[in-house]
Amino acid sequence: MIKIEKYLAPVLMALCGIVWAACKQERQPCLTPKTANLRAEFMHKTSDTATVFSDTALPSAIFIALTRSRDTGFVYPLQKSSFSLSLSSDTVFCQWAFRTDTFSYTVFDTLSFYYQKHRQFLSNACGFTYFYTLDSIHTSHKMIDSVHIINSSVTNDVITPNHLQVYIHPDY
Amino acid sequence: MTSLPQTIYRYIYILTISALFAFSPSPVYAQADTTATDTTDVKVHKKDLAGHQLCVGVDIFNPIMNLFLKDTGGRRYGYEIEANYYLHNEYYLAAEGGWGSSDVNYTDLKYTTTNTFMRLGFNKSVLTRDKPVDWDMMFIGFRVGVANIIRSNVAFTVIDSLWGNSQGTLSQLPPFTAWWAEFNGGVRVELAKNLFAGWNARAKFLMNGKSESFKELTPLYIAGYGKGDKNSAFDLNVYISYAFRWDRKSLHGINDSTDSPIIKPAHAADGTKANKSFPGSNEAIPDTTANPIIKSVNATDSTMEVRDLPKGKK
Repeated sequence: MIKIEKYLAPVLMALCGIVWAACKQERQPCLTPKTANLRAEFMHKTSDTATVFSDTALPSAIFIALTRSRDTGFVYPLQKSSFSLSLSSDTVFCQWAFRTDTFSYTVFDTLSFYYQKHRQFLSNACGFTYFYTLDSIHTSHKMIDSVHIINSSVTNDVITPNHLQVYIHPDY
Repeated sequence: MTSLPQTIYRYIYILTISALFAFSPSPVYAQADTTATDTTDVKVHKKDLAGHQLCVGVDIFNPIMNLFLKDTGGRRYGYEIEANYYLHNEYYLAAEGGWGSSDVNYTDLKYTTTNTFMRLGFNKSVLTRDKPVDWDMMFIGFRVGVANIIRSNVAFTVIDSLWGNSQGTLSQLPPFTAWWAEFNGGVRVELAKNLFAGWNARAKFLMNGKSESFKELTPLYIAGYGKGDKNSAFDLNVYISYAFRWDRKSLHGINDSTDSPIIKPAHAADGTKANKSFPGSNEAIPDTTANPIIKSVNATDSTMEVRDLPKGKK
């Protein structure tokens, strides 16, 4: 004959513990990217009259976000041809200063982005973010020859095509 | 003779163990019929002996969990009542309803939702009854649930360490609905006369999780369903319920003094009376020598089966 009272308390405690652990209301970790970044691919024209373009791995590129409070720079010490840039969610316009490498040249080009922003709910774990639709991009032309918008929709989806192609002068 | 606390302990133990078995991979079998099966053609007449039962209950699991579900992210609560009515052939019409609320109070997201909900469906008992008045049951069931949700204004902050945080608000929505389908199973045991306790485990599947209202902001918690941003949810209820019964004796011949069915002797095909008596009947002691026809009576569920075997078979 089993003495049920002997096993009752541990079984009930274990059951309550499992249920309590399963239902504990902690915020779930956010597992999706929270920021919508645009990706720019840098292309190089082999000569002024050339019609052939190739990916250009910038030797040591510098990007500086020209914010209202303070400018923040990012240096990429390794050769890269594709870069991610974030847009300001506070306004519908932002600027990045850009230089192809840290040593050779002291001049910067400025990339000015004009866009529409769309509020997007990600999840209760991640909260809200903004997605963007690029309207236009203005640039200075010290190193940059031209900029083409390939994909105007900037979301947190990282497997979409690059958004920009930036063409660099042959001299750089 | 067991004392009342021991009886209560026993029933709690049964409920707990049945809960553990329900989630274990090994199958659970109802009472197996160990008698030999008669393979001859039989004529089966079923008559429902269980009568009417309306069971009204309250969920005690959610109020207990409400006490634990408080943290920095806010507070939530849900309350639930249920009713089921015995229909026929071990099917029960089930209706459940309730209300609840949740406060989301994260650093970057703040809002409140409140909702009422209702579920309609049925339960099917999978246990064989010991006798028609045995209402203990292990059941499976199906429900369709609908919730009416009211969401408050929403305040949110998009945190951006580079360009600076941006804040925004969403205005209150008109009430919107969520609806889901659910499969459930559980156990209910009669602790005392007409007083039941039991649990009900549910697997729920949200059907309109991609609607516009959900896209704008998915409620963190929907009372009656669970986490709103999950397309499937699992839940548990523990019910204490009271049963109202009527019409058992007058309609179906239940002997109230013994809780056993009064089965009147049937007439054999040749016009002789079957020599079998049951509690509540006034028939004589059977004459076992002069009866070529056997009336086999088997009341294993809420119905009585009267099997008329062909002549000459025993």
